[in-house]
Amino acid sequence: MLHIKNLTKRYSEKTVVDDVSFSIPKGKVISLIGPNGAGKSTVMGMISRLIAKDAGVVEFEGRDLSAWNSKELSKRLAILTQSNNIQMKLTVKELVTFGRFPYSGNHINEEDERIIQRAISYMELEEFQDRFIDELSGGQRQRAYIAMVIAQDTEYILLDEPTNNLDIYHATNMMKIVRRLCDELGKTVILVLHEINYAAFYSDYICAFVNGKIARFGTVEEVITKENLSEIYGVNFEIQTIAGKPLSIYY
Amino acid sequence: MLKSKHITLGLFFMLAILSVVSLFVGVIDLNLRTLLQGDIEHLEIFLISRLPRLLAILCTGVGMSVAGLIMQQLCMNKFVSPSTGATISSAQFGILLALLFMPSSSLWGRALFAFAAAILGTWAFVYFIQKIQFKDVVMVPLVGIMFGNIIGGVTSYLAYKFEMTQALSSWLVGHFSLVIKGRYEIVYLVLPLVVLAFIFAGHFNIVGMGRDFSQNLGVNYNIVLFFGISIAAMITASVVVVVGSISYIGLIVPNVVAMFKGDNIKGTLLDTALFGGIFVLVCDMIGRVLIAPYELPIELIVGIVGSIIFVALLFYRLKNGRRSIRLKPSGSGCNTAPVMQGGQCE
Amino acid sequence: MNAAVKKANQKKIAVLIALTVVASVLYLFVSVNMKYFEYAMSLRAPKLIVMLITAFCIGSASIVFQSIINNTIVTPCLLGMNSLYTLIHTAVVFFLGSGSLIARNTNLSFVVDLVLMGCSATLIYSYLFKKTNHNMLYVLLVGTIMSTFFSSIQTTLTRVMDPNEYDSLLATLVASFSNVNASIVAVSLVLMAIIIVALRRELALLDVITLGKDQAINLGVDYDKTIRRLLLGVTLFIAIATAMVGPVSFMGLIVANLSRQLFKTYRHTYLILGSGLIGMLILVGGQLIVEHVFTYSVPISVFITVGGGIYFLYLLLKQRRA
Repeated sequence: MLHIKNLTKRYSEKTVVDDVSFSIPKGKVISLIGPNGAGKSTVMGMISRLIAKDAGVVEFEGRDLSAWNSKELSKRLAILTQSNNIQMKLTVKELVTFGRFPYSGNHINEEDERIIQRAISYMELEEFQDRFIDELSGGQRQRAYIAMVIAQDTEYILLDEPTNNLDIYHATNMMKIVRRLCDELGKTVILVLHEINYAAFYSDYICAFVNGKIARFGTVEEVITKENLSEIYGVNFEIQTIAGKPLSIYY
Repeated sequence: MLKSKHITLGLFFMLAILSVVSLFVGVIDLNLRTLLQGDIEHLEIFLISRLPRLLAILCTGVGMSVAGLIMQQLCMNKFVSPSTGATISSAQFGILLALLFMPSSSLWGRALFAFAAAILGTWAFVYFIQKIQFKDVVMVPLVGIMFGNIIGGVTSYLAYKFEMTQALSSWLVGHFSLVIKGRYEIVYLVLPLVVLAFIFAGHFNIVGMGRDFSQNLGVNYNIVLFFGISIAAMITASVVVVVGSISYIGLIVPNVVAMFKGDNIKGTLLDTALFGGIFVLVCDMIGRVLIAPYELPIELIVGIVGSIIFVALLFYRLKNGRRSIRLKPSGSGCNTAPVMQGGQCE
Repeated sequence: MNAAVKKANQKKIAVLIALTVVASVLYLFVSVNMKYFEYAMSLRAPKLIVMLITAFCIGSASIVFQSIINNTIVTPCLLGMNSLYTLIHTAVVFFLGSGSLIARNTNLSFVVDLVLMGCSATLIYSYLFKKTNHNMLYVLLVGTIMSTFFSSIQTTLTRVMDPNEYDSLLATLVASFSNVNASIVAVSLVLMAIIIVALRRELALLDVITLGKDQAINLGVDYDKTIRRLLLGVTLFIAIATAMVGPVSFMGLIVANLSRQLFKTYRHTYLILGSGLIGMLILVGGQLIVEHVFTYSVPISVFITVGGGIYFLYLLLKQRRA
């Protein structure tokens, strides 16, 4: 289980995350939303140990994150951020192979090989597996990274704005992949999203941030209401139910 | 407006006082009384060594800072200067050519070669950076430093090959110790060139705002650019021929002045010139006092003091955003400043 | 890495080793006067060993440094690490006096230099990276300036020590290709072995570290500690090379990038080995040409500076276009 208690982060004078507490339900898709600068990416960074916290506890399986051995943690929890500019010549398969690094280091065994191939075919990347990742399109590259995270075989997967820089087609496919990770592979997926409708359509829970604090946390139906969203984003909203999900129009 | 004049006046008095002090610092104690009493020996030292040295220092400080200011203004980049724009190394290359092809050439002959090489080298560099239009401001000085390194490498290759390293070494590390009457007068060329810079300051200002802007105002961009770069290169070359290489002055002095007075070249040119004189005078005095009776070459002092100031400027800029390295709003009604600050495409 | 690429890379390494051996043999024996064979060997053999060690140090350190800062146009020497070493060495002699026990014992003073270098360089460069927020262009510019700064202080110290004879003092203080420092070969080899063994676990992490900070942490690497230890190793390797032949600024840039171009892989085993071997080939081969074609008049460092400068501009422009 992942419990966040009194999490706080300050940059010099400014408090970007202010005393945030919530618990992540297991086996669900949870989206963190909110306006720019609300602190959602910082929370994500602290949950994944990429950003040092100033106060509070991130309790993972009964222990604080900082008490975990980094290698052990990397078998349980994976994070994918936007800063993936690799200058090296690396093929898709080599990238996915890195997902097995926490288990086998630089020397992979046959079981690792099987897991890698499964991850590659799950992401439908077979035909690209020997291509260099800097030769792929944005959508393909994003899928290659997801394949690596799948090979990493963790219970928790954290994705920081996975639809960023993708067009509608690839972004929608990315969200479908997220749903499959949860439904088919039983993973707990935590996302930072800008697009409210993706969050509403593809997640189970939504956590909305404003000014470094949690404004609303609950199921999609609880959070995505006309009043809540207008309050969070400060603009007018209309909600329509499409395919059983509350989708919003803002103007 | 009034306050701005105060700064200029303050700088002027400081320069005057430091100049007088500088005249009386040296191995042999000179003082005003013996000079006025007409001590022939002391008067000779004064006229042959001390006064020429002071004048050379002033010309160097004023010249290099003005050259730096012109180059920064024309290239629209705060980090361009004779030392980060391949001008100094080109001038040295010219001197080596003169030593090679006309071993008996006079100081003026060498100066001619240095002029030609400095102008060509700087022009090649400016053409290059204009052609490429770097996105990041810092790219330009980096390319300039590398340009200078390559030219310097070729220079030392030729020097080794023709066994000229000894002869060339006096131009590699700048120093004032050889400045005596009869050997330094070329540095006076800086004066008319600086006067030209004052006259055309407005034009440089306009060209600094870009090609379209100057065309709109009816100023011929290419001619003014060529003219300005040539003036800066010639100033640098006349200093290098007499004193040797002195880095950083052209880079630091204009930037420090701009922090206080903004970027309008008309308002800052005089202060830049005065502050340049003060900077070199102070560095020279440090170099003369530190291991007296010997002296350290000015290049070393400027190298140490200059790098510290420059790195501080860079960090300041990094911390306070790319737009400005300026502390106060400009004192001379320069409302165009934001356009000119920073780099080519910010 | 698939089998074909692996085989091709192994072949390339083999070819490089063969070429290096050929160059070394040529260097030792070309136009040796048989009458003075032993004398010639006593001159050439130490110099050859020094060049091989230097090339390996600069080559491997440059690759590791590039990987930990995730940039291929920056090398430790461009940031003035070698000037820092000569400054430290001069400062030790300056403050302890040239007659002191430490200054007279070459090996002892070398070890003292290395300790000081390890501490100050990791401090200075970690601070630089932090302060510039890993903005590589600023790192490069500040590094270039620091180069001038260090060497200005170093020259000043030499002049203060002996204002009349500073040129000859400088020549004894700082090694160069015409005046290599072979007396520390044994100590250096031992130190290099210790460093490599001590860092074997960190070196194995290099492949993962090239994925970037976030990915490395995600895959369970103790990032900050690993980077600190690797950076320390890099500074010591550069110090060893500089102590032997003096500062050579562009060497690392050339060999590291040639190695990356030759072995299109992220595997550091190949990159490091390749970079070291290419360095050996360039240094030994270059010295061979310098000694027999230019008959010593032009030092090899001049060619490396000109070639390296042009290569650097080319890389800068290529990267900008990409």
